[in-house]
Formats: sequence, structure tokens, C-alpha cells
Amino acid sequence: MWRRSASFILDDERRRTSDSPPMAADNTTTARAPFQNPDAISAYYQTRAAHHGVITSDWLAQAQAAVGGVSGEEHPDSSAAELGKEKTFNVIEEFNGWRKQPDLAEAVAAIRALAAVIRASEASTMMELEIELKKASDTLKLWDKTSISLTAGCDLFIRYVTRTSALEYEDFNSAKSRLLERAEKFGEISCKARKIIAMLSQDFIFDGCTILVHGLSRVVLEILKTAAQNNKLFRVLCTEGRPDGTGVLLSNELSKLDVPVKLLLDSAVAYSMDEVDMVFVGADGVVESGGIINMMGTYQIALVAHSMNKPVYVAAESYKFARLYPLDQKDMAPALRPIEFGVKIPAKVEVEMSARDYTPPQYLTLLFTDLGVLSPSVVSDELIQLYL
Amino acid sequence: MPDVQSTVLEFVNKLRKRKIEGSQATAKCTVELLRSVISQQRVPHSNQASALIDAVKAVGEQLVAANPVELAVGNVVRRVLHIIREEDLSLATAAMAGLDLLDASDDDDDGNDHNCKGVGYMSAAVAAAAAARSTLRPPSLQTLLEGTPESAAVPYTSSSGADSESKTADKSSITRKLKHDVIEGVNHLILEIAGCHEQIAEQAIEHIHQNEVILTLGSSRTVLEFLCAAKEKKRSFRVFVSEGAPRYQGHLLAKELVARGLQTTVITDSAVFAMISRVNMVIIGAHAVMANGGVIGPVGVNMAALAAKKHAVPFVVLAGSHKLCPLYPHNPEVLLNELRSPSELLDFGEFSDCLDFGAGSGSPLLQVVNPTFDYVPPNLVSLFITDTGGHNPSYMYRLIADYYSADDLVM
Repeated sequence: MWRRSASFILDDERRRTSDSPPMAADNTTTARAPFQNPDAISAYYQTRAAHHGVITSDWLAQAQAAVGGVSGEEHPDSSAAELGKEKTFNVIEEFNGWRKQPDLAEAVAAIRALAAVIRASEASTMMELEIELKKASDTLKLWDKTSISLTAGCDLFIRYVTRTSALEYEDFNSAKSRLLERAEKFGEISCKARKIIAMLSQDFIFDGCTILVHGLSRVVLEILKTAAQNNKLFRVLCTEGRPDGTGVLLSNELSKLDVPVKLLLDSAVAYSMDEVDMVFVGADGVVESGGIINMMGTYQIALVAHSMNKPVYVAAESYKFARLYPLDQKDMAPALRPIEFGVKIPAKVEVEMSARDYTPPQYLTLLFTDLGVLSPSVVSDELIQLYL
Repeated sequence: MPDVQSTVLEFVNKLRKRKIEGSQATAKCTVELLRSVISQQRVPHSNQASALIDAVKAVGEQLVAANPVELAVGNVVRRVLHIIREEDLSLATAAMAGLDLLDASDDDDDGNDHNCKGVGYMSAAVAAAAAARSTLRPPSLQTLLEGTPESAAVPYTSSSGADSESKTADKSSITRKLKHDVIEGVNHLILEIAGCHEQIAEQAIEHIHQNEVILTLGSSRTVLEFLCAAKEKKRSFRVFVSEGAPRYQGHLLAKELVARGLQTTVITDSAVFAMISRVNMVIIGAHAVMANGGVIGPVGVNMAALAAKKHAVPFVVLAGSHKLCPLYPHNPEVLLNELRSPSELLDFGEFSDCLDFGAGSGSPLLQVVNPTFDYVPPNLVSLFITDTGGHNPSYMYRLIADYYSADDLVM
């Protein structure tokens, strides 16, 4: 399915012939897993897009209050009601419910969904609970293969459940309540993580610097907000960020903080790289090699910055570390996103719909995480410590 | 206490006036000062470690503030703090083991009751020991969900519980032990600092081969001993010494190398790029090594590093462990640099009219900048040789994690 051959004519024919059998077999779609996301469109990026559509600081406050109040009550009820058979279905709904909150990180939503599984579980031993959790986490991962934070969050929680030695000494009910309490705490940890990252990166922003930002990462926004609050004088160049339009949203936020902002076309990055002092990006996931997976365009910007000797700083929470090792751009699960061009495209014309790319570690200078400031080579060390 | 305070103030003054030259000398004096602070510090019976840590931190802050550019001071203070935490932890776990043994011996007499209590202590103790151990390591993904474990206060509550079983004699010996262990650890650190040259020089034979040409800059004692160690093992090689203006310490190094029988050539700093194609390896000593693998060295090494990169010549940096700094540099050229007197460059007599502040607009047209240090980014360095062996620049964070605790990074 991944086309690597340069002979696109042969591939084209192959594609045309392979397309027809599945069309015929459409009626008998039993091959697909029942909880598989029906489109190839990545649910993760759709949710991000939905967030971008609304994520402004005034809306956030209202949304938090509204969504937080409602879903907090609803979900335990619904999960209590649907015990037994419908449990796996529950996890996905649960997860989607949490995920819709614009200020909540993906991994936190995943862990909260797993916490709901624990709460609704009828298991009487740790082993049973672990098996149920594993099943729920597999279902979640299967539902959206493209979201790295989701996978990482699930893995982290499962790992914590199976490895914590302190749990062995307590009786089952107290262990269960301890797990639930930890899962709740994780949401706070995530918020604290952003504050820690913002604090660590303050030293690197000096007065009079020009920062280039790509994509709308909540962590990077927090960093810039903190710098503005500390009365640092800096200006921001932000890329337009098609097709999500992140540039306009970011410039809205920054102009509220009285930070001088300049919007660039994605193609104008090399043109403006001369006057840039540093590049700040967030990350959808940090992979084992120390590279990052982020919104499409990050690799390009990192290449340009590297060739002009500008530092590229990545701000990512530690739970985004994933056990992936992409060898090239196409080596990940494809995450597609529909792109509107505004005009009608002829049917024969293909569109590159991938929503993300992989930036290798040699183009990154430092990663700011809640574990501290790390250079890209430290990432694999951290992952080994966790997963060994 | 008062005479410790006066020695501290004396040392702070010396640091501020830059009377102590060289990071090894500074590190040694700092450790000796901290050792006397620790031995003079009166510690309470419970929570000793935090009393020691607070005392050392208070002195450390003063020292670092006196000379922030001399990173060895901060490094050594953090090493001592790490030693205190480590010794405290090992004593706590030893106390647990001691408790366990004593409970087992009581078993025969007192039956099940004591047994359960012992087990209770054990499980709490194991959890506490595991938690305390994790505080020593920097925060990691593993500890992310565990949250903040309680500090070493927990082992102390269980050991004070042991009091009730009339083990007071044991306990007071444990409290005296902490200070003793810490002083032992600090002595070990002093030996390590003093012996770093020999440790590094031992590895010379693996890196310098027959008929090689080595380039070095300025004068570093570590480099001198490194080269001489190779010479003693009967390797014959040539050395190019860049003179290291404006202090011209390269001249001194050249003299010493010739005295030890090495073929030496003196070149100007500006000739480094011209000569680099004839050189097999560049070896320099560092002032400090940062956590990302970047090097703070004498002014001119950045040029040599760039030249070496261009001609694919290996760039080797020698650094003792007291030079490893756990901080990441965010503006090293400015913040970790020192400007020395312009008189080293220009003679005041000749240029007195250009440097006159009184005439004209109030600020002279001629300015002189004399920086002491240079920053070399990690991608230009091929190899670090420390007293523990040879390492990649991307590996430095590992050594730093071994030597320092996360809590001590901010002073």
C-alpha cells in the first residue's frame, strides 16, 4: 500500500486493479474489526482541527466550565449503567468525551478513559484488572492508530499498573483506589508539566530575540505567554500552517498578549530565516531516536534552520515519548487529513494528504520536557529506563 | 562556627578578586572548605541530612555568587550535596536491613505479634527506600505516575519506632555515622580531583600513535601530562603549539615540552587554519564541559574546532570530572565569559590618547575587548577524555546524572 517505487505508471495500474475487488466485496465488510475507525482520515488530526477551530482563551474558560461539569457527572453514570458486555464500546466513547475538551492533553484523556474502565470493572484480583485494562487499551489503540500520545498514555498507565511494587503489598481495594487516584492526579501532572516546561525555557528567550513558531502547540503557547508575562521583549514569526490555519489562531492569541507577531506563508520560511534567532515547535510524539513527529512542515523548517545554524527547540511533555523508530518519512502509520484548495481539483490529480512528518534528531538542538532540558540522545535512554 | 564563617568569607573574597587560578586549584580549595563546614556543623538527632544539605547549600550559594564564571565551584558544591544524599540513603537502607535482622531474632521469643510488626515495617520501609532512591535519580517517565514520594523523613520515623524496642545505642551510632561517611566521601572526592591528571594521562597511549602530529592551544596541565605520558611509552610524535595570545601561554607549554624531549613547533593563533591540514589530531584542555556536550575553553578554541571540522581532523577535549557542569548553556558567549584587562592587548602608554574617557563625547572611539573563554558547540567535538574514560559528547548527560542529583541544579 505504501508506494516506494519510482515507476508510478506501474503503481497506478496496480492501484486501479487492486481498487476494484474491494469495491465488489463492500457488502461483506466482515474483515474490518468492529471498532475500526471507518475512514482512513485520522481521528486525531480531526480532533486537533476541531480544537483549532475554537481554541481561543475566552472560549476556553467557558468551554472548560461547561464541558468539565457535564462530562464529569455523565460518564461515571453511563459507565456504571453499561456494565458487562458494552464495556469496550464504553472506552472509546469515554475517550472521545474526554478528548473533546480543548485544553486536555490526549494522553490525559486516554488515562482518564482507562480509569473509567477500572471504576467500572468487576475484577477481584490485580491480574484480572490488568487483563481488562490491557484489552481496553488495545481497543483504544486500534481505534486510532495514528495518535502517538494516545498510545504512549495507554502504555504508560499499563506499565505503571504492572510494575509498581508498592501495589503488591496492599489489598485489592486499596490498590484499586490508589490507581484511580493516580489517574486523576495525572491530569494535574499534565498541567504542571506545561508550567515546568515554560519555566525551563525562559532562560533561552532573551530580550530582542525573534522566534519562529510552527503549528499551534499548547505547550509553546504557554512558553510564550510566560515570557510575555515576565516582560521579555521578543517578536514572533508564525507560519500560516495550512491546512489547519494555525498561524492565524496563534497570532490572535499573541496579539492579545501584546507580542509583535508576523504571519508568514509556509513557503516564506527560508526567506525569513535570516532574521530568526530560534525556532520553537511542539511535538505530537517524540520517537526513540530523539526525533519528533509533528505537523506537516516541521521537517522543512528544521532543515532550513539547520542549514542556517539556527537552534530548533522542541517543547514536549514526557508522556509523548513513544517506542517508535521511523527510518524515513513514510515509515509511520499514515495519518491523512482532507485538504481544501478552494477550487475544484480534477479527479485524476492526487493530493498529498498526510498530516504529519518526521524530523530526525540531528536537526533538533534541545528538547524541553518536564523531565528537564534534554538533548535528543537522552530520549532513548529515558525510554529504555521505562520499558526495560 | 565563627572561624568557619571567617574562612568562608576569606575564600569568597579570593574568588571575587580572581586570586585563584585554574579550575583544579579552585575545586580543591572549595572541597576542603566544604569539608571543614561539614565537620564543624552541629547536626540534630533526626533529619541530619537536611541540616547538612542546608548548611552546604548556604555556603555554596555564596561561593557561586562570588565567581559565577568559575563553574568548577558550583560543580563541586553539587557533588558534595550528592554525596550527602547518597550516604544518607545507604545508611537508611542499612538501617532497614538491621531492623529486619533484629526482628527475625526476636521471632522465637515473642511469636506472631512481633513478626507482623516486622513485616509491616519491612513493607513500609521497602516502599520508602524505593521512593527515596527515586528522588536521587533525575525525574523520569517511570516516576511520572508515582507522584512525589515522601522524603527521607519516612526511614527516620521507622527507625525512631525502633527506639521503643530499646535500640537507642544502635541509633546514636547510626547518627554519628552519617557525618563520618560524608567526610569520607568528601575525602575521596578530593583525591579524585587531585588525581585526575594521572587518570587521564593513562589513556594517552590509546589515542596517540606513532609519527602523529598533534595540535594544541595555549597551555593546559592536563594536556602536558597527557602528551608526556605518551612520550614515556616510547611514542614519537610532533606537537604544534598555538601561542594563545594575548597571554602567550603557548610559549611556556612549548618550553616544557622541549624540556621533556618532544619535537615542538610554535605557531600564531591565526595560522591554525593554515596548518590544520598537516595535523592528525587536535587536543585541548577545557575550562568546563556543559550538559549538552558543549565546551568552554580558552579563547581561540572555537576557531580551531571549526578548522578541524572543515578538514575532518579529530577534536579531542580533555576534562577532569570536576569540570562537568550539569547546566545547559543558553548564552554561553556572554554569560559564561569574562573580560580581562585591555592592557594585555594594548600598551596604555602608546594608546593613552585614544582610550581617553575625558576628551570629546565622553566615551573613547577605541574599544578593547579581551574575552577569556570561548564556547565550542557539541557537534564540533569528536571525543571527550575524562578520568573515567573516553566518551561521545552526546553521552555527557549520563556522567552528569551519575555525579549530581536533580534537586541541586538550582542554587
